[in-house]
Amino acid sequence: MSATLALPRRKLAPTAWRRPGWPVALLLPLAGLLTWLVATRAGWLTPAILPAPAEVWATLAELWQSGDLQSHALWSMGRVAQGFGIGAAAGLALGAAMAVSPRVDDYLRPSFLAIAQVPVIGWVPLLMLPLGIGEALKVVIIAKAALVPVTINTQAGIRAVPRGFVEVAGAFRYSRSQLLRHVVLPAAIPPIFTGIRYGLTSCWKALVAVELLASAEGLGFLLVWGRQMFQMDLVVAGIVVIAAVGFVFDGTLALLERRLQRWRTA
Amino acid sequence: MIPLPRRLAIATATASLFAPRILRAQTRVVRIGFASIGAGNRQFTGGSPIAASHAEGWLERDLTDERGLQIQWSFFAGAGPAVNEALANNQLDFALQGDLPAVIGRANGLRTKLILANGVNNPIYLATPPDSTITHPRDLRGKTVAWHRGTNLHLAIAKVLAANNLTERDLRVINLDFAASDAALASRNIDAAFSSPVLFGLQRRGLAKIVYSTKGDKPGFARHSHLLVQEAFESANRELTGRIVNSFVRSSDWASKEENREELFQIWAKSGHSLENFREDFEGLPLAFRNGPLLDAFLQGQYRIQAEQALEHRLVRRQIDTASWFDTAYLDAALRDLGLQNRWQRRDAEGREISA
Repeated sequence: MSATLALPRRKLAPTAWRRPGWPVALLLPLAGLLTWLVATRAGWLTPAILPAPAEVWATLAELWQSGDLQSHALWSMGRVAQGFGIGAAAGLALGAAMAVSPRVDDYLRPSFLAIAQVPVIGWVPLLMLPLGIGEALKVVIIAKAALVPVTINTQAGIRAVPRGFVEVAGAFRYSRSQLLRHVVLPAAIPPIFTGIRYGLTSCWKALVAVELLASAEGLGFLLVWGRQMFQMDLVVAGIVVIAAVGFVFDGTLALLERRLQRWRTA
Repeated sequence: MIPLPRRLAIATATASLFAPRILRAQTRVVRIGFASIGAGNRQFTGGSPIAASHAEGWLERDLTDERGLQIQWSFFAGAGPAVNEALANNQLDFALQGDLPAVIGRANGLRTKLILANGVNNPIYLATPPDSTITHPRDLRGKTVAWHRGTNLHLAIAKVLAANNLTERDLRVINLDFAASDAALASRNIDAAFSSPVLFGLQRRGLAKIVYSTKGDKPGFARHSHLLVQEAFESANRELTGRIVNSFVRSSDWASKEENREELFQIWAKSGHSLENFREDFEGLPLAFRNGPLLDAFLQGQYRIQAEQALEHRLVRRQIDTASWFDTAYLDAALRDLGLQNRWQRRDAEGREISA
């Protein structure tokens, strides 16, 4: 099987996941850090707007020691994990159903697209009635953020599986489930994962909107509170932590993607 | 070689591109920012004498003889915090802001002066669903109560709770902005909400009832707003600053006259907030009590207390000196100039009226 697929692979499949060259990847952040240092040293911006890196570091250390940072991060990670889990699972199912069955697509696509266009914040007042203002509302909003990109990419990914693959499977007389498990899903992994990883980014973005709402904990709340209290070091610290957590989450997904794509290099 | 007509066209286009810049260089711009915005982002606001001055163009009228002077008003949906950011980035010369955000700005190094009161003794309101058994803040123990943390309601609420032997920890506090707290109250997701006069709108629609306000309670429970000026602008434009303060004091005088009550509310209603809300918010209070410009001993004391409480509640991280923040020279000169020295009642630090 792998021999049959080896031929078109090089042309059809984009380059598989590759470990980034670390020293090069660090160049841009380092340049950013340097500019930041110079900007604060030279007083290009008032410290009220852009605090010095050392100050942000001190704030991070203080938040860590008081345990606030861990609790804020845990709250947010919990909300993102739940919302993303639900949203991504629903998006995979929905996207696959819409790709495989034209009838499901006909029924659902227009409504889905219409709903997808509305920013999550628009649903809040409506959702508040049935869901209350507790965790359920937050998780649902985060799940919606993941649902849309995952669905769209899953559908597009499955639709884009080369006809040749399916024809070969047909020649081998694969059953429908075999076709799905051994041909369609593996070939659609890269676009699906694009959707999943983009969905995760959307979740983090929705998180801030959600934590504005009826909460006094979480990294999004930390950002909003820092801005409200004009403590920009808190805001920058929040940005750094969200970026770091997001990076780790995305890296985990990338590893998973690589594992699922072992057939490419086999 | 480009033919002549086209070259002419290019030259004109280039010139017109730079023209606004050159013309602008000849005008002076005074930038004034409100820490509020009208309903649906209307570029109007209500509730203070300077809001009326903006809506009616009184400041422009009083400064018509200043050649090439342009007044630029801006309104910040992000309220006090956004105004602080604009001040830090030097995008504003004057700001109209509440007490707590200004304290926060000062604690973070903004160099400003408080030169005029603009909308003082503002009450806060406690509302519940219509059939609630809560009738007073003292009934709030163990209840789910919403308010917008970090706004200038925050400290007033803390004081009201303390007066009823409660702290935030005795309630289930939910952080909601005004719009969300309205929705939560209407959908009965919370037992009560502390908020602004927008609650009157909810009450009229039968979705909530206002059970308590700081109106008529201790004077120290009120919120206050002011006009502040950037130190750099003030020291470079003393005469202009004086004229601006003078014009605003005239607005305060007009807005303090009872015969103007209904007209004033109609001007404020340009903000899209209902006339009824202003009527009910101001009911039973003399206009002069809310619209006076004085920075008297009471008001200065209130800002000192706000600063102390902000530190106590960890809303700011360092102690700030409020005494040196006030500069009443412009106000005093304007009052003398307009013959209004005894127009408004002065109060001592405890809020007792000082007999003239």
